Amino acid sequence: MTGILKKIKENLFLVFIVLAYAVILLMKPQMGVQAVQNSGYYIKEMLLIMPVIFILTALLDTWVPKQTIMKYLGQESKFKGIVLSFALGSVSAGPVYAAFPICIMLHKKGATIKNIVIILSSWAVIKIPMLLNEMKFLGAKFMIVRWVLTIIAITIFSWITSQIVKNDDLPKENDESEAGLNINVDACMGCALCVQEYKELFEMNNRKAYIKEHSFEPDQDKLKKAINRCPVNAIEFVKK
Amino acid sequence: MDVFTAGVWVLTVGFLVFSFVKDKHKTKESVKKALGMGKGMLISIISIILAIGLLLAIFTPESIAVFVEKQNVLIATISAALLGTVTLVPAFIAFPLVGTLINGGVGIVPSVSFITTLTMVGVVTFPLEIKSFGRKFTFIRNALSFIFAIIIALVMGVII
Repeated sequence: MTGILKKIKENLFLVFIVLAYAVILLMKPQMGVQAVQNSGYYIKEMLLIMPVIFILTALLDTWVPKQTIMKYLGQESKFKGIVLSFALGSVSAGPVYAAFPICIMLHKKGATIKNIVIILSSWAVIKIPMLLNEMKFLGAKFMIVRWVLTIIAITIFSWITSQIVKNDDLPKENDESEAGLNINVDACMGCALCVQEYKELFEMNNRKAYIKEHSFEPDQDKLKKAINRCPVNAIEFVKK
Repeated sequence: MDVFTAGVWVLTVGFLVFSFVKDKHKTKESVKKALGMGKGMLISIISIILAIGLLLAIFTPESIAVFVEKQNVLIATISAALLGTVTLVPAFIAFPLVGTLINGGVGIVPSVSFITTLTMVGVVTFPLEIKSFGRKFTFIRNALSFIFAIIIALVMGVII
């Protein structure tokens, strides 16, 4: 019973929507049928395109040499740095908040504020698989024009930001980051891959991953695997 | 399946095969990651789709188009941009949704401003962005994104 209650609590929005459907189907059957048809169309379109978008995103994320890009980013602040920043943002997987820790790390290594704004903004807006999706529904001309305008806009406002915001305005990082194992709960998307990999160490609670109370020393190989499998790089391990 | 979707599938499968030949292990890991990302989002995506389906049955695209047309273009565009900042819809649902609206007669300019702020400005991720980069950075980046989303939309209205 508590299990069912927990499930309902976790998916409150879905429960609410289903109830709304029931009400409308009873009160206004025609409108209800229309709503079901609308949703059916979107679910069909989503199932056709979502798997490829996720796979393309993950493949790009794996094969584009991001380490190399990051290595050069710190030293290159002119044209090459801008291009590298756009490239990094466009091929990376995961929601934009997954980019926050990466950007902080890059800034510490010397990346400029301008480039950080470019990475964050292109991470949010310009995704190569998403461009394909946009082309499908809105046409090639629409996609290309919006893409070009967006790149111009980001280039301009990243420069403006760098004129207003200075390095001192960013929070001071306390350099001794906490030793041990940490999960960035804000970034976790609840895929449970870490639990699958290492169920003695991780557990799911309210669709987020947490570290279990443990008295043993984590197995380094298994831990490393779990860290690598996390799609949003939310698990962090700093050696004591 | 239309030609375009089929093309993207062929491209992806080709990439996947190439990747598999090059590195079996890495490929398996990326596919698992992709499935993980999809699974993590599935329930919220389906909830959002059901909500959109319902909203579009109550307010048909045609009636939205008539309503938007009555407004001043600039006000409609700014309102659409504001709506985009607070709406939590993944981009790959937003594109077919905007396609439906444009086909129903809603103007390009408000549609573009909606879709651009939807992805570029995040009210929901605001606290996290402040924690990471500070108030000044977060405020300036999001405010500029908002302004430029409107400029992009207006320019697109002229070009397309």
